[in-house]
Amino acid sequence: MVWIGTVINGVLLGGLYGLFGVGLALVFGVTRIVNIMHGEFIALSAFIALGISTVLPNAHPLLLVVPVMIASFALGYVLQALFVNRSMRLPDPLAPLLLTFGLSIVTRNLMIEAFGVNPRSIHQGDFAQLSIDVCGVQIGVLPLVTLALAVVLFVTLQLVLRRTKIGRIVRATADNSEVVRLMGVRPSSVYSIVMGFSFALAGVAGLMLALRTTFTPFSGVERLLISFEVVVMGGLGSFWGAMLGGIALGVAQLVGLRINPNSGFLYANLVFFVVVLLRPNGLFGARQ
Amino acid sequence: MLLEVAHLDAFYGDFQALEDITMAVDSGESVAFLGANGAGKTTFLRCLTGLIERKRGTITFAGGDISHMSVETIARRGIALAPEGRMLFPSLNVEENLQMGGLSRRRGYWNLQRIYELFPLLAERRLQMPNRLSGGQQGLVAIGRALMANPTLLLCDEISLGLDPLAVEQIYASFTAIRLEGTATVLVEQDVRRASSTTDRIYCLLEGRVTLHSESRRLDTDELTRAYFGT
Repeated sequence: MVWIGTVINGVLLGGLYGLFGVGLALVFGVTRIVNIMHGEFIALSAFIALGISTVLPNAHPLLLVVPVMIASFALGYVLQALFVNRSMRLPDPLAPLLLTFGLSIVTRNLMIEAFGVNPRSIHQGDFAQLSIDVCGVQIGVLPLVTLALAVVLFVTLQLVLRRTKIGRIVRATADNSEVVRLMGVRPSSVYSIVMGFSFALAGVAGLMLALRTTFTPFSGVERLLISFEVVVMGGLGSFWGAMLGGIALGVAQLVGLRINPNSGFLYANLVFFVVVLLRPNGLFGARQ
Repeated sequence: MLLEVAHLDAFYGDFQALEDITMAVDSGESVAFLGANGAGKTTFLRCLTGLIERKRGTITFAGGDISHMSVETIARRGIALAPEGRMLFPSLNVEENLQMGGLSRRRGYWNLQRIYELFPLLAERRLQMPNRLSGGQQGLVAIGRALMANPTLLLCDEISLGLDPLAVEQIYASFTAIRLEGTATVLVEQDVRRASSTTDRIYCLLEGRVTLHSESRRLDTDELTRAYFGT
């Protein structure tokens, strides 16, 4: 029963990891940019959530999702429009990568400057401590809600991309950014919107992280590694692959911790290693 | 004149791909650009759409200088391209590909329903992905997508290349309907006979220069051979 509980909690943790990765997968799928800033932004979103929670101290934690997403979308949009789009016009394909690397260092240091290095957390009622008993297995409500939220966001993202006009434009731009210009579409505007979506998703991940555990300006670096593993395991640019990759990592981590409480993220990394060895293109192959 | 090009030079890095091109297209007129591989035909169309930025000379379209305008602005002004290799969006189905053409929201005769009337086959295949279509059917989607923008000038880059004769027939038949709606066309072709029988005038390009300009019905075969091959 203990093992079943561990696996279930691993799956739920995977929801959070999937959220870490999906924004990265989206940006890579459309712009082909590896966004090194993604981790920093998860940490920054946690601070944004903290800020909003101090303004709205009595609000239910889940109500924070909307303002955090809006703020994150705006930040992602502006960042892409002001900086990343310019770097994409340069002939060197490494330029955007280096830019996001530089921006991640700047963002981290700005966070240290603004918030200090002491661990912070969001205390929004006892929501984070609630759990339910299912046949003797204790399941945390927050992880359950996180997974549910991740699934809802994944489905919504998929529907937006498949069924709406903006989704059609995003897919076409990912296919061929030169030909869409012949239809009067500016690829840079599309990229800004996509980065906004990506940051909005990272924002939710940051909020869920902040509700679950303590965080510092350095929390992003660790999450960037998880995000990358999730995306690579899932298959670059594949959303459901990212979800599955997240779940595999979550289960491996918790099962590993059950075997050896000092193992940290070791077993998850081993699973990642094995998956990449067996399926170099990831679980879901090429871009969807 | 709808389109006037004067002394156009175009470059890829240091290489000069077009030299001193001067030409014009009137409203509703159909003009063919002939020439062998590498003569500069595609480069010329890419200049007209703004895709090539390194160029000299002037391009005037519908009374305005578009030489330095962005690709997006030129598209919204009414120049549409059915590019070489058709370049459909592989992740979009037929109908979504067509809808992409209509994004510039120019008003006019063409809409989804009229494209389906022109190419009934596409209506049957509207939910299929481009890789499930034959080359000929893809060509129809490429033309349909360009028409959805209701262009005043339609550019077609070797749209019939590599297609079976039946498909080519269908594509060329559609040009008659397109002209009836007043759209001017510039066709880039290697098939001399078909191009000259469909268009009003032809220009022949060789190594980036215009070597012949003639009315299609007065085309002299020997003269064209010399202009085409440079012999």
